[in-house]
Amino acid sequence: MSDRILEVRDLTKSYGAIMASRRLCLDIDRGEVHALIGPNGAGKTTAINQLSGDILPDSGSIVFDGVEISRMPPHRRARLGLARSFQITSIFDDLTVEENLALAIIAHAGHNFRFWRNCLKTPLVQRELPAALERVDLDRQAGTIARSLSHGEKRQLEVGMALTGRPKLLLLDEPMAGMGPGGTVEMAKLIGRLRGEITILLVEHDMDAVFALADRITVLVYGECVACGTVAEIRHHPTVRAAYLGED
Amino acid sequence: MSRSGTRTAAIVAAGGLFFVLLPPVATFAGEDYPISLFTRILIYAIAAVSLDLLIGYGGMISLGHAAFVGLGAYVVGILHQHGTDGQPLLGLLPGSDNALLVWPLAVLIAALSALVIGSLSLRTSGMHFIMITLAFAQMLYYFFIGLEKYGGDDGLSIYSRNRLPGLDLGNDLHFYYLCLSLLAAYLLFVHRLVQSRFGLVIRGASSNSRRIEAIGIHSYRYRLVCFAIAGAGGGLAGALLANQTEFVSPGLLNWTLSGELMVMVLLGGLGSLFGPVLGATIFLLLEEVLAMYTEHWMVFLGPFLVIVVIFLKRGLFGLLTGTGQRHE
Repeated sequence: MSDRILEVRDLTKSYGAIMASRRLCLDIDRGEVHALIGPNGAGKTTAINQLSGDILPDSGSIVFDGVEISRMPPHRRARLGLARSFQITSIFDDLTVEENLALAIIAHAGHNFRFWRNCLKTPLVQRELPAALERVDLDRQAGTIARSLSHGEKRQLEVGMALTGRPKLLLLDEPMAGMGPGGTVEMAKLIGRLRGEITILLVEHDMDAVFALADRITVLVYGECVACGTVAEIRHHPTVRAAYLGED
Repeated sequence: MSRSGTRTAAIVAAGGLFFVLLPPVATFAGEDYPISLFTRILIYAIAAVSLDLLIGYGGMISLGHAAFVGLGAYVVGILHQHGTDGQPLLGLLPGSDNALLVWPLAVLIAALSALVIGSLSLRTSGMHFIMITLAFAQMLYYFFIGLEKYGGDDGLSIYSRNRLPGLDLGNDLHFYYLCLSLLAAYLLFVHRLVQSRFGLVIRGASSNSRRIEAIGIHSYRYRLVCFAIAGAGGGLAGALLANQTEFVSPGLLNWTLSGELMVMVLLGGLGSLFGPVLGATIFLLLEEVLAMYTEHWMVFLGPFLVIVVIFLKRGLFGLLTGTGQRHE
């Protein structure tokens, strides 16, 4: 087993004249928290969407855990162990919290049709649901319709769904966007707890959080990787300071 | 949850009791007509519940549900005709009046047609899905109009209802209780279905189609099977309707029936299963009563529907169970 969980080579995606990804290369090691930063419009979300399969690249390769996945549909990548959260929270609004998590649990149990038995009462869900609820601190909201959760709780639920089934790589697209200070702290704690358990690719605007959480950082500018290194290296990287951090 | 759950259970039980006790009360009062009217209501309720599974739970807004009702009815009509004239169907299959043979066949053909129609329609969504289901149903409608061998525009008369061992379907009372049992069985099945693993996937796909793929479930196959299960329900309703009216015509496949079924679902309450039963009851009773006064009864039904849809997010059933305002 190689140390690399993800290897992205020469990933290119253009929308008309705009190059959203420009020969993008990215390496992620097993077990690290890797942050992807860059100014607005640098193509961070486009990159994540190509990794998860929501968008197909024009060219380039994505090797995940030894498998070339750049043409694979999203649900198959998810089953290989690639989970994600969306920039705009994406949960099942009309279902209860426990139903949301139950769906994530059964998604990893393979394909089958069960028509009769109440899904929440199946042994698999009964076994895994309590831990899944506890992991994201939503035990008390188990029966609540997801639509009526607070913004922060919705985010936690989304991350909780992504974590179910123990993914090998978790893509977090701005998990702290739109959260109050309390929510940001909660989310940072959650990511901190996951460190070492799961490899995480984190896209985030909050620089304090990135510097506190990340092992390594990749900087994108105009769809291109301009720098990659440890937190200390990136802090002092001249191109990065000019292109990005200089704004602060 | 538990309080509104008890209330729902009480209302469903009361409704069930009403349907069970209706025939003896009507017979005691010396009225036969209500039994036949409510048989019709029970049959439409089966079709409406199957449509609710599609729209209310699966988020698949089909405007072609009449196709499956019509197909189910035509299976009964066509096999009856071949049974009467002794000519085998396509030179192979003898006709039949045996309900144990004809009804499963009607359900099967409706389900298979739904698989075919669904496999194409489900590649689209939203407005396109509505239009493509409508187009398929209208295609079948015109197909049966052109089918001179089976009456074309004039439809097919059925001279005797199907035979079922142990029951006399020609007896309105027997037929009523049979329809009631079938509705109850279909309701129980769908009620379990929407809570099952399969149902959870269907509801999830309806709630957020991108998220369901992102967690690793390809929902297309699930939605297709759901479409077929709903089609099967429509086919069953069609077979029963053919027996009740002893007549089959292309009108059963027309979009007006699809529209009426949709109105019943909305009136009763989307995604509530028992709501569509209430919706079918209210719709057909209103039609019956208003038609006594004017042939333009739709003029009165229209505004009523508008009011219900605007003010009651969960329909009349939601109003009864007290969950009407909780939608947003």
